[in-house]
Formats: sequence, C-alpha cells, structure tokens
Amino acid sequence: MKLTRRGFSGALAASIAAPALIGRAGAQGATLKIGMCAPVTGPAAEQGRYAQTGAKIALDAVNKAGGVLGKQVELIIEDDQTTNPGIVLAFSKLAAQDDIVAFLGSIRSTQVHAMAPDVLKLGKPVMIGGTDPALTHMGNQWLFRFRPNDSYSGRVLADYGVNTLGKKKWAIVHSTDAFGTAGGKALTEALGKIGATVALDQGYANQSQDFTPVVLAVKQSGADILGSYFTFENDLGIFARQLRQLGVNIPYVGSPSIVNVSALKLAGPALYGTFGVADYAEDSSEASKAYGKLYREAAKVAPDNQSAWTYDAITILCASINKAGKTDPKAIREAILATKNFAGAEGTYNFDANGDGLHGYNIVKNDKGNIVFDKHIDFND
Amino acid sequence: MDLVLQLLFTGIGIGAVYALVALGFVLIFRATNVVNFAQGEFSMVAAFIMVVFAVDLGWPYWLSFIVSLGGMALLGALFNLGVYYPLRNRSFLPVIIATIGASIFLANSVLALYGPQPQVLQGWFDTPGIQLGPVYLDSQYLLIIAVTIVLVAFQYWFFEHTLLGKKLQATSQDKEMASLIGIPVSAMIMLTFVYSALLGGIAGILVAPVLFVSIQMGATIALKAFAATIIGGFGDVAGAIIGGLALGVIETFGAAYISVPYKDGFAFLVLVAFLIFRPQGLFGERVAEKA
Repeated sequence: MKLTRRGFSGALAASIAAPALIGRAGAQGATLKIGMCAPVTGPAAEQGRYAQTGAKIALDAVNKAGGVLGKQVELIIEDDQTTNPGIVLAFSKLAAQDDIVAFLGSIRSTQVHAMAPDVLKLGKPVMIGGTDPALTHMGNQWLFRFRPNDSYSGRVLADYGVNTLGKKKWAIVHSTDAFGTAGGKALTEALGKIGATVALDQGYANQSQDFTPVVLAVKQSGADILGSYFTFENDLGIFARQLRQLGVNIPYVGSPSIVNVSALKLAGPALYGTFGVADYAEDSSEASKAYGKLYREAAKVAPDNQSAWTYDAITILCASINKAGKTDPKAIREAILATKNFAGAEGTYNFDANGDGLHGYNIVKNDKGNIVFDKHIDFND
Repeated sequence: MDLVLQLLFTGIGIGAVYALVALGFVLIFRATNVVNFAQGEFSMVAAFIMVVFAVDLGWPYWLSFIVSLGGMALLGALFNLGVYYPLRNRSFLPVIIATIGASIFLANSVLALYGPQPQVLQGWFDTPGIQLGPVYLDSQYLLIIAVTIVLVAFQYWFFEHTLLGKKLQATSQDKEMASLIGIPVSAMIMLTFVYSALLGGIAGILVAPVLFVSIQMGATIALKAFAATIIGGFGDVAGAIIGGLALGVIETFGAAYISVPYKDGFAFLVLVAFLIFRPQGLFGERVAEKA
C-alpha cells in the first residue's frame, strides 16, 4: 500500500484527535457533571474549603445511593479567587464545558451579581448562597437560592425582639455599605409594621477604629433593645466591647455576623447573652443535626452555613434532576421549583416562583460563648 | 460634660496611636526625603509576630514583646537594604513606589502565612479599664498615651542630647556635608529605618488589643498617621505628635456631634484644608524654590 500525503495527513489528524474524542465520549457516558465556583484562593479561601467539603459530603451520599439518572455525579471545581472578576472567569471556564448540566455559584451576593449576566446568557441552573433579596427578583430565572434572603432576617429580628423579648423601643446600628443599609432598612420597616418605634438609626463606616460616639448615641437614645447589621467581625468586636465598657446592657439582637466564629473569638464575653439570626443552627432540626454529625466526621470542625448551603444545594439539585428524568435545563428548573417540604440542613425548603428556597431564620443565643438554638421563625410569603 | 470628657479621652487615645505611626513617617522622611508607605505594615507585622509568640506558642508576654521588637529591627534593616538602598540615588518617586510595593508584599505575605481571620491579642493589663467618675478609661488607651509621652521624651533627649542623635540629624539635614565630616551616612539611614520599624511595631502591638490584629490594620492606621504628618508639618517631630492627637480628637468629636458615617471624612477635610491654606503644616517651615 502506497502512503499518500493526503492519507498520511488524515491518519495523523485522526490519531491526534482520537484520544480526545474517545475520552470525551467516555466521560460523557460515565459521569454527570456539576460545576462549582468556589474561593480556593483569596481572603475567603478557608470558607471555600468548607463549601467544597459540604458539597462533597452530599455528592458522596448521592453517588452511594446510585447517582443521578443512573450515572455517578462528578464535581468540577474552579477557583473564583474571592473576587468578582475571578468568579466571572471561573464561571466562563465551566460554562464552556457543554457536558456540565448545572452549577453552584457563590455565597457572596456581589459575586453572584457579577456572574448573573453570564448565567442568563448560558441558560442553565445555578445554585447560589448570596442573600441580597434582589438576586432572585431581577428577572434571572436560572438562579436558585439555598439560604434565606435578607428581607427575612430583618423581619425575624423584629418579630423576636418585639414578640418574644417584649421590647418596643429600638436602637439600630448598621454599616453604611449595601448589606448594612439594606439590613437596617428591612429591620426598620419590619418594626414599623408591628408597631415598634426606632429611637436611633445609626450608620457607621466599615473599619472604624472606635465606636465611642455610636455607643454614647445608643445610651442617650433611651432605647430598650439594640438591633445591628455589622459587615465585619472586627468592627463588631470593637463595638461590643465598648458597649459593655460604657455600661450599655440592654438586650441585643444582631444579623448573622454576631454569631459567627470570628466574632465570638474577637468579642469574647462582650457578646455573651446576645441573640442572633442564623440560617444554619445545628440543633434546629433533625436534618440539621444529622448534617452536623456528617460534617464533623469529615471536616473535624464545627459545621456552619458556609458548608450547609452547598450540601443542600447538591442534594436538592441531584434529586431534582432525577425527578426531571433528563438534563434539560428547563426540566431541571421546574423540578427545583416544585421542591416542597424538603428537610435540608439549613431548614425546610419550599421553593417559590422566584427561586427562593427558604423563608425564615433561626434565632440563636450566645450562652457564654456557646451558640444555643432558641427558635425558628418562618414566614409564608 | 461627661460626654465631652469621654470623647476627649477616646480621641486622645486613638490620636496617640496615629502620632506613634506618624513619628515613624517623619523620621524616615527627615533622613531620606521620601515617604515610607509601608510604615503601617510595620505595625501589622509586629502585631502578628506578637500573636504567633504570645498566643499561638504561649510564650510570656514580655518575651514575645522583645522577640517582636527584634523581628521589627530586622525587618527595618532588611527594608532599608532591599527597598531603599538600591534606589537611594534615584529621584524620590521610584523609592515611594517601591515602598508601596513593599507594603502590598508585606500585607499579602502575612495573609498567605496566617490567613485572613482577625486575631485577638490580650492587653498588658488584666483589668480592662477603670471608671473615673463619669468617664471610663480603657487601660490599653492609658498605656498607649503613657508610652507615647515616654517615647516623645526619649526621642527629644536622643536627638538633642546624644552624639548619635546629632549625627542622625546632620545626616537628615545634608547627607553630603555629613559624609564630608566623617558621619557614616548609610549606617545612619539604616539606623533610622530600624528605629522607625521599632516605632511602628510598638504602635501596632499597643493598638492590637483595641483594634484586633488584622491584615488591614496597618493600612487603616497609616492613612490617618499620614494625614497627621501633613497637618503637623512634614518632617517635624512635635508636629507629628500634635497632628496625630488633633486628628484623633477631631474625628471623635465630629462623629459624635455631626455624623458617624463621615467620621473619616472630618480627618481628611482637615487635611485638605491644611494642604490648601497651610501646606507646610502646623510646625513646618515654608520651603521656597530658588529661582
């Protein structure tokens, strides 16, 4: 047989392409892929590790139970560098892989906002943990939230302070960034609806070195309860300590940062006896307890919301694909939205038409440094 | 009145921290004619060294303090050799850019080594503070004010009454002349960097129990200290102290009586006013370009 130039070129091209084609075909057949953008590097790298662990625990359970649509599920992780450009790049790398059927985005609202236009263009389901209410109310039907949004935290704080603690004259302290301003506003509105008054609405700039003027304003306002939205734990730590030093001892209910591990460490006894809202509380339900046990075994540290939401996201996503019976994005979307009364680690999921799965928060108490579950407050709207 | 006294105490306490870091700015500026934008990172690095030894390794506080200052002296020397010395014959701009680069490098090195979580460092005293009538005096702020007074007195004595201090002054005033009369100029500049790193380090360790130890702490303090230096008059030691204290008091009262969110704004409003109406600062001399 005579080897022609054309024949040789054809054979060469085929031999180069074959392994890739065979590999791709094999991969497509063998596993079902889910993409995940997570901070592997950058300031939130530690939390990113928690998020990955939560997702992997869920994935193991799904695969042990037979996988999805008869295939084992594979998680493809891209580093979002804890930045907005980072997550846009990470998502575009994942989106370029046609065989990825759905994605996990970020717990940070700002990053979700950054990637949202690309999510809309791609048209595949993306699970998120960011709590800015706008994320599921801006016409992007592909975002599904696995944490309660911030509109609920204000209502829960107000409800608990007024109806459980019986306090009606409030001082509100909040950061002046998007999170703090929106939180302070939500709390003020919720208080107005249940007949409580706001004696002081005090904003502060992040990374303040001193809160003496704020504490003195709280003291002078004559408020009988304090509500807060702090963005950074070090600000909260300085504020809480100065609050006690200057003799302010009224009941204090705060946004989730008041009960996170860093704040507890920094503020120490200054935060004892305070209440906070938390989307994940280990003792809030049987499902939360069961997840806590699994996570402690896998990660050797206490579970928190950073990992609980990714655990729930993978669990519900996989169940929804199974229920849909196919990987068509629209079918998956409908199956996720049809999820009702699903007991997850973060709470009971009842998806609404906007893509919000959870509609309430847990109230927890700082009992001498231990976070103790107090009650769960849910809303139907 | 109670409110005024409480605000005044806090303002002076936080102002003393700005003053300590501002002193470091001034010393390096006098010796080299450049602004060291990594001065704030010296505070941050020293605080992290304290956390490593006093908290993580459980060493006694005083020993950790000495180790930390030793580390700062070394850092000051390395900073001089690595950042200033290679560029000493260039104009001021490359040196300033190099100090900004060094500042980013230091912050990110600590981030890579220690992670992003803020850390707690206990204060020197077990008692958090004392109630003096209507005013609460935080013990750490009292210590900061006391140390600032001692360091200022030491600095005055050192520069005005010791031979080494006078050699340093001569170097800062005219390097060529100093060199001609036999003063080892490079060694003097090295000493200035070491001393500035020590000052920054002391400020960082003192303020850590109040502000916590975080990667951002250096930048936050340095920005205010820089403003204090300009208000006081660049290159003037007394100016740095007065500028720092004034800034602390102005921003505390501004926050209490005008607006909390714009607290930082007051400091910079004063800064801008000084730059427009008295660019040489409170104690600086007007410098005129020769025709």
